[in-house]
Amino acid sequence: MELLNFLIILGAAWIIWRRPERERLAFTLLVVSCLLMALLFLIGTHTSFLPGVNL
Amino acid sequence: MIALSQDRLLTILAWIVVALIAGPVGGAVWLGIAHGDSPCILCWAQRTSMVLIALVGLFVLRYGPRRRYLGMAVLLGTWGLYMALRHSALHLARDVGQGFSAPILGVHTYAWSWVIHFIVLVVIGKLLLLSDDQVVTGVREPGHLGRFAIVLFMVVVGANALQAFVSTGPPPYIGQADPVRFSLNPRHWVWSREETEGRISWRGSWTIPRPDPAAAAADPDPAHGPLAGLTALTITGWERIGAPLEGSLTDLARDPASGRFLATTDRYGAYVLDSTLSRALHRVVLDPGFSIDLSPLAGAAFLGGDTLAVLSTNKNYVLLRPDSTAEAAREWRRFLATDGEVTELARSRFATLRARQMYVLSLAYDPVAEELITVTVPSPRHRRLVVSRFARSDLRLSSEFEPRTAPGLVPSGPDRALAEYVVTGAVVEDGLLYAVSAAFSTLLVVDLRDRTLRAAYTVPGLAHPVGLAARGPRLLVAQADGRVAVVERPAP
Repeated sequence: MELLNFLIILGAAWIIWRRPERERLAFTLLVVSCLLMALLFLIGTHTSFLPGVNL
Repeated sequence: MIALSQDRLLTILAWIVVALIAGPVGGAVWLGIAHGDSPCILCWAQRTSMVLIALVGLFVLRYGPRRRYLGMAVLLGTWGLYMALRHSALHLARDVGQGFSAPILGVHTYAWSWVIHFIVLVVIGKLLLLSDDQVVTGVREPGHLGRFAIVLFMVVVGANALQAFVSTGPPPYIGQADPVRFSLNPRHWVWSREETEGRISWRGSWTIPRPDPAAAAADPDPAHGPLAGLTALTITGWERIGAPLEGSLTDLARDPASGRFLATTDRYGAYVLDSTLSRALHRVVLDPGFSIDLSPLAGAAFLGGDTLAVLSTNKNYVLLRPDSTAEAAREWRRFLATDGEVTELARSRFATLRARQMYVLSLAYDPVAEELITVTVPSPRHRRLVVSRFARSDLRLSSEFEPRTAPGLVPSGPDRALAEYVVTGAVVEDGLLYAVSAAFSTLLVVDLRDRTLRAAYTVPGLAHPVGLAARGPRLLVAQADGRVAVVERPAP
């Protein structure tokens, strides 16, 4: 899934560089990538949002 | 204040993108290829966060500093800071040199992630502070430096994509908690989805409910216990704590030298009682919120001499001493109420290893070994019965063990375990740890020398036992209602 996320980012960067008129699509890809990154992190912590410490 | 023109701002931003991509993101790829360093799933997310911050920089280079870009940059910096702290929390408390992955300048990568995201937030704030209010938006030419930043970005992100393919595989495979070292040889590639398995929880393994002695005592029937065929002990008499106590009793200890008792209550009261249990010689009400969390109290013990120990369920403790010269004004910070004749000596926390993340409901003192002893109670997360011993001298952990079961003790079923017992009172006599369980009204006898559960006895007639004390050849089982059952102390 990390690979997929980097490909999405590459797609956004390509649009910024070569197809700048499609800013909305590039920004959408940015948002999707952010959400995917957050999801993968939460999966990696086994959805323990809070760290393993006393609160 | 000197304001930055938009062109100047964008130039600075381009350099920031170059630095971010060439530094931590590109450096991480180099670490992988040159040194075999593979990021874990949490590292991947933090690296991705840095890439996305750089991507936002490219947006600003191309379209100007629109508000949504700046908002996204702040969100990414904040989330990255959270991720770095969350990740670091896994390792920061370990022993010296026990960090994860390769250190850079003596600092591990998850700590660097914290620094980088912190710097990102500071830089964004600084740029916003200094930026010109005359914002020009629309597609603009990135210039030589901007184009270099974009190309560098795509090359480095492409290299990251390649490393991600090798290390984590194509979707639906995802990063791993313990990735193997990087290799371009496909035979060494490990693609996994094991991180998607696991329980869902806000706090993971730290979701431990507070113990409830009353709930544990809900099934006092010894026949339902995890050990079968136990001998029954007969209650030979009943006594009662006549001294007035505020709240319900949570433990009772007895000093063999003086015959006095120490009682604790669920309203943070600690009482020194006379040998007949009818009169309170000393009384304090502890401030459970001062310095450490003392709620609720669960254990009491005499440590020899005049020193008293009071324990809370979270293994925090207070040492007290009757002192006719105590200054009430000085003790005000520690006690909600006092008779003016008790001094607090220390207040701190027991640290455990096997008993970590487990609560206790009892405290005992071994005068021969000069050790304080706690016994864990089970939780839905941790079903173990762990005996922890702490040196009287420095109050640090001496040893911990899960008692073996002596050959003569027979489980009542294939899945039954000692951890089903909920020990609410304990006392040491003759090298044996006597522990009473509120669940199944059972008395456990643990030999502290060979760490074996030597014997177990049922005690029919108990209701919500909370404490255990020894008086010569007899054991006194204290109940929450203040009644005390007397049984002969068995010697297996």
